[in-house]
Amino acid sequence: MEGVVNSDIIIIILATGIRLATPYLLAALGEMFVQRSGVYNLGVEGIMMMGAFAGFYATLQLGSPLLGIVISLVIGALMGLLMALVSVTFKAEQGISGIGLYMFGWGLSGLLFRLYVGGITSVEGLKAIKIPFLSNIPFFGPVLFDHNGLVYTAFLLVPLTGFILFKTSWGLNVRAVGNKPEAADTLGVSVVRIRYQCLIVGGMLAALAGAFLTIGQANMYADNITAGRGFIAIALVYFGRWSPWGILLGSLLFSLADSFQSMVQVLGINFPYELAVILPYMVTIIALAISYGRVWAPAALGKPFQRGTRG
Amino acid sequence: MKKRILALLLAALTLLTLSGCGTKPTAQSAPAPEAPKVEKIRIALVLPATVDDLAWGQSMVEGLKAVQKTMGADKVEVAISEKLGNAVDAGSAIRQYATQGYDIILAHGSQYQSVLTEITKDFPKTTFAYGTGFATQPNVFAYDPQAQEGGYLLGMLAAMTTKSGIVGIVGPVESGDAVKYNYGVQQGVLKGKADVKTRTAYTGSFNDIVGAGNLAKTQMSAGADILTGSSQQAVGALRAVAETKDKYWLSTDMDQSSIAPDHVLAAQVYNWEKVVTKIIELRKKGTLGGQVLTLGFADGTIDLKYNAKLADKIPAAAKAAVEQAKQDIISGKLKVELPKK
Repeated sequence: MEGVVNSDIIIIILATGIRLATPYLLAALGEMFVQRSGVYNLGVEGIMMMGAFAGFYATLQLGSPLLGIVISLVIGALMGLLMALVSVTFKAEQGISGIGLYMFGWGLSGLLFRLYVGGITSVEGLKAIKIPFLSNIPFFGPVLFDHNGLVYTAFLLVPLTGFILFKTSWGLNVRAVGNKPEAADTLGVSVVRIRYQCLIVGGMLAALAGAFLTIGQANMYADNITAGRGFIAIALVYFGRWSPWGILLGSLLFSLADSFQSMVQVLGINFPYELAVILPYMVTIIALAISYGRVWAPAALGKPFQRGTRG
Repeated sequence: MKKRILALLLAALTLLTLSGCGTKPTAQSAPAPEAPKVEKIRIALVLPATVDDLAWGQSMVEGLKAVQKTMGADKVEVAISEKLGNAVDAGSAIRQYATQGYDIILAHGSQYQSVLTEITKDFPKTTFAYGTGFATQPNVFAYDPQAQEGGYLLGMLAAMTTKSGIVGIVGPVESGDAVKYNYGVQQGVLKGKADVKTRTAYTGSFNDIVGAGNLAKTQMSAGADILTGSSQQAVGALRAVAETKDKYWLSTDMDQSSIAPDHVLAAQVYNWEKVVTKIIELRKKGTLGGQVLTLGFADGTIDLKYNAKLADKIPAAAKAAVEQAKQDIISGKLKVELPKK
């Protein structure tokens, strides 16, 4: 069976890369809205952990991954609401409150797991849905059309969020609030409300990313299951220059490099393992370094809004 | 002002949740409010991961439970702190246990070696033990499981059982115990059947169960039908194997068949009860440390466990050869090589 054909290997690398990109894509698209509205939420990792636990636990108890997704979205919205309360209403320093939210999510998810589950348990997670006809196309079929529902959701969200952000009045408001909150405020756009909405949407997508890990990938829960993916998602928002297509590019680049290096290791190609595991990070940093000149960012990013003052 | 209060609140809340999952004496220890006369051994365990990781940490926890059961819950008190992967946090927990007068403190990870050297001199009457490691002090034991021995036997078993001719290793970080175990597996596979290939890959993490699962999927899609791997992330790989028909897993540190009874063929099991009992006995005789305690097949501190449910999946010849090799390891006839540094 050693004679695996080369195109098969390429299919595995690409299909795996697409699967791996999903949590980054979900969390980063959510964080994109948050940052576009002028808030950076460093608590994505903590929200992901809560979403991962909520999705897992609901699936375990209710026997349905779909309900798991619903519950994790609710938990994500609550976590986003908490961040909004702290950083928008009470105007706490965003970096610190984000880290606080991260530690809160980590601690609480671990505690809940210990209290209500207590040991390694597995669940029946989401099943792959083969898209009829499309999945039969040679090469592209297995790469693109043989994944679970959350993978399709994540990729469909790219054009959808792009449309919302750039073609709807709500998206315009989000961008205005993140760039010139005073101006938006003068024109009657509620800065606070828009930021709340963005943080809640961001929280829901981060939680969905977490749920994807527990019920769409591992089909189990363990402490610290996100293993830093939330922070990578935040980095990908910067990489993608706050645009859905940029984020898609970054997520794919990172995940394909990851999937590629796994295969290189598995096939025993003579390549130092240390280099292999950092390859995704290296590729991303290099691409970031050479591909962009002047950096644009939402002008009001990180600045709490106070009516009547500048920034 | 509001801001500051809120920040404090959030911090307090965080601490609360974090401490909630931190130190807690196990419920098994006798209530014994004053209990004066009975001479009680107090053991504290510091873990890098969790008590229920189904691997390194849990194997030690179960060993301690067994010690408690054998010696009597009123004779042995056990306290456990988990999730102390960070050496600084572990250090303060270890110092705290020593200050509280625990007799034996087990720092269950090779990463604790340097932290221990800073603490142990201040508590000359306390026995410390850590592992995997070699460096000892008068009051520090080091323990060293010969992971390559079980790896060798499991490798042989895999080579003589595989149908695809490919055995896949899902490794954590290429260092220490993992390398030792993997090197054993590689040698065992070669011995078992020369034309079977071992494919070794690492995730670069000890606790990324999602990453381990994905690496296992890649291993399987590239042809491996029997997989193995060490560390607490291994359950992620095992779960991926358990979802795939006709793919099997060999576990190490402890028997993981409980979560995948139809996919775990066999396991290398550490018998910590014997190791801890030995430490207790040495301490009673006045030896507080200074020895390297080796775990191996010879004294039964490592054992090989088969999954009875899957007995028909292992060819009789394979089992016989593995059992023979095990006897050779015990008698000293067979030495499994360690990786060259």
